[in-house]
Amino acid sequence: MAKAVGIDLGTTNSVVAVMEGSTPAVVVNSEGSRLTPSVVAFTKTGERLVGQLAKRQAVLNPENTIYSVKRFIGRRFSEVQEEIKNVPYRVVPGPNDAVRFLINGKEYSPEEISAIILRRLADDAAKYLGEKVNDAVVTVPAYFNDAQRQATKDAGKIAGLNVLRIINEPTAAALAYGLDKKKDETILVFDLGGGTFDVSILDVGDGVFEVRSTSGDTHLGGDDFDKRLVDHMAEEFLRSQGIDLRKDRQALQRLTEAAEKAKIELSQTVETTVSLPFITADASGPKHLEMKITRAKFEQLTADLVERCVGPVKQAMADAKVTENDIDEVILVGGSTRMPAVQALVRRLTGGKEPNQSVNPDEVVAVGAAIQAGVLSGEVKGVVLLDVTPLSLGLETLGGVMTRLIDRNTTIPARKSETFSTAEDNQTAVDIKVLQGERELARENRTLGNFRLEGIQPAPRGGPQVEVTFDTDANGILTVTAQDKGTGKEQKITISGTTQLSKDEIDRMVKDAEAHSDEDKRRREEIEVANQADSMAYQVERRLRELGDQVPSNEKARAEQLISDTRSVLKNTPPDVARLRQLTSDLQQMAHALASTPSQSASAAGGGNAPESKPAGSAGSDDVIDAEFRRAG
Amino acid sequence: MQPQTNNPTTLEPDAERERLKADVQREHDMYLRALADFENYRRRVERDRAKAAATGTRDIMLSLLDVLDGFDRALPYFSAAPASVAEGAQAIHRRLLDLLSAQAVTPLETVGTPFDPAIHEAIGSVESDKYPSGTVADEVQRGYRLGDELLRPARVRVVT
Repeated sequence: MAKAVGIDLGTTNSVVAVMEGSTPAVVVNSEGSRLTPSVVAFTKTGERLVGQLAKRQAVLNPENTIYSVKRFIGRRFSEVQEEIKNVPYRVVPGPNDAVRFLINGKEYSPEEISAIILRRLADDAAKYLGEKVNDAVVTVPAYFNDAQRQATKDAGKIAGLNVLRIINEPTAAALAYGLDKKKDETILVFDLGGGTFDVSILDVGDGVFEVRSTSGDTHLGGDDFDKRLVDHMAEEFLRSQGIDLRKDRQALQRLTEAAEKAKIELSQTVETTVSLPFITADASGPKHLEMKITRAKFEQLTADLVERCVGPVKQAMADAKVTENDIDEVILVGGSTRMPAVQALVRRLTGGKEPNQSVNPDEVVAVGAAIQAGVLSGEVKGVVLLDVTPLSLGLETLGGVMTRLIDRNTTIPARKSETFSTAEDNQTAVDIKVLQGERELARENRTLGNFRLEGIQPAPRGGPQVEVTFDTDANGILTVTAQDKGTGKEQKITISGTTQLSKDEIDRMVKDAEAHSDEDKRRREEIEVANQADSMAYQVERRLRELGDQVPSNEKARAEQLISDTRSVLKNTPPDVARLRQLTSDLQQMAHALASTPSQSASAAGGGNAPESKPAGSAGSDDVIDAEFRRAG
Repeated sequence: MQPQTNNPTTLEPDAERERLKADVQREHDMYLRALADFENYRRRVERDRAKAAATGTRDIMLSLLDVLDGFDRALPYFSAAPASVAEGAQAIHRRLLDLLSAQAVTPLETVGTPFDPAIHEAIGSVESDKYPSGTVADEVQRGYRLGDELLRPARVRVVT
């Protein structure tokens, strides 16, 4: 069966994506890239090149290399006079004031050029999938008028594609985030690409999107940011070395590439170094460029570019008659939205709302188009949509910590088992407290249910093995089973509706966990260190008892001192973690020393299953994990 | 073959229906589980692959080429340095070349060959009486293959 693809036909670059099962995937083209430059070239030998190859020969053949065709499609010749000034190829009037490109003496319409790009993208997708590609959803800017949309559709037809639908880029972005399922929300889409800036305000309700307003700047994008950095570096170099690198084409190219790289790095780090050895030379010899650039400096150089985004956002909000408080969701599109200063600006303009940015901003539009293509071609209906657990599921273990069995975002149905043990000697019952949430401590999470497994044979702590199984079926119904491996006794609980939390509630719980993550980690660590120290003290004590008189009295006194010190530190809340670590390590050494003491009754006393010689917390202890139940009752 | 009368369907239609119903339910559950397993597996593979690509040979080699470019640019100045210094630097350069060739990174031969955008990136054009029009006149930055694949195109100037 032929597949339907989603195509983001961009001004500078295009992306094609396709549904694989229930998940959209971006197609990797034949050059190994996920982006294909929207460039078409006609060579002197009559060859037609598309994408990266067309771009590589552009300087040799500028008059026959067409880029930015999106700025011309569906427009009248009289409307595009300003655009014509920016391009080296020949744009001429066609019939009815249409736009035509004059290439090697032949006229081409913008539709024909776009068709060549679309065909290439569809071919790449077909190669990637190993199937034919006939149907496509193509995206256009929200501000495109009927003529521009029709022309884009015609381009698809010329390419031999059945265009299922033309959808707006911001709508596609919203689809990629599943926002079509929202009821009566207002969405702001902030799209800052390589060369254009668009802001759109959408309304969504009953799966239908309505564009309420659009605004933007057709000549603002990441390239402008690069240029600021180039100028800054070139001027610094001119000041210190007296040479203007911008006059040397080769040096300028290196500088431009280095600037883009530095810009990208500065989204991750607060400082980077641009290093261009042998960038140029004069009579005195070779010259090197070595320059440290801080994020603060970069933001200072580009502050006015960022500010240029403010007007269009305010305009779009005014046109849609909304204030920042009316915006429910914010979506970032375009690689330039990775810049921290841009993100800060978006937050500032939308009342501090956290923008959606988990989908790659370069690909989010194509991904949304692919989802739409999947729905329209019936593919998405055909597959079983599998749910995921919105929050982690686990149980409470010794010291009140949550031990996760099924992680958040695991596709269900899912099943997971782990073996636990008792926390006290002769413990005959364990309480299983089933938890849901992302916090480290049990009491901060939701308790879904409780049950008790009784009838465990009395044994030293750590001896009994209780296997706990979490099983979530496709409907989110969770069954927790605990089985005592010694007696085969089993107890279970079934909890329904583990996936039916409201999104707000899930968001709140996840955010809560993030906000408390440092504090939670510290508290969990305290508990774990305390558990380990307690367990170690117990083992040393037990070993001492077993060995009786065989232990030299001075060693015995020292061991007892360590045990009592540990227990007294454990009485404090919060415990002194550093001190406990030290004591645990001392106890561990003591345990090793005692282990090498020959025990006359070792086999008799230990009964062969000797957990006593195992250092506590050594994760290697089969599949009995370190966490233990609390004492029942 | 069993005689018709022994067919449980005719004997106990209700029980049989219940059994089949339970069977279908079990099978469907297994099917969903298989799908879920695959979905989780796919997610993991994707994560692993992304990680592998990030730390992969290709990226490492590409960043090493940056170092090699530095050497290529420095080479013309070696003659100005004391002979012993130049020799040492050249030894380091050779060491780097050997290391790359051991990883199947090979330079592209470009000068004098016809311009080919599949492996060349044009950065300008020049006049030449040595080479015919449309061929590569000189190389500004060397291009490399990794095995059979293009690692980086050569930056070249082409004869007008």
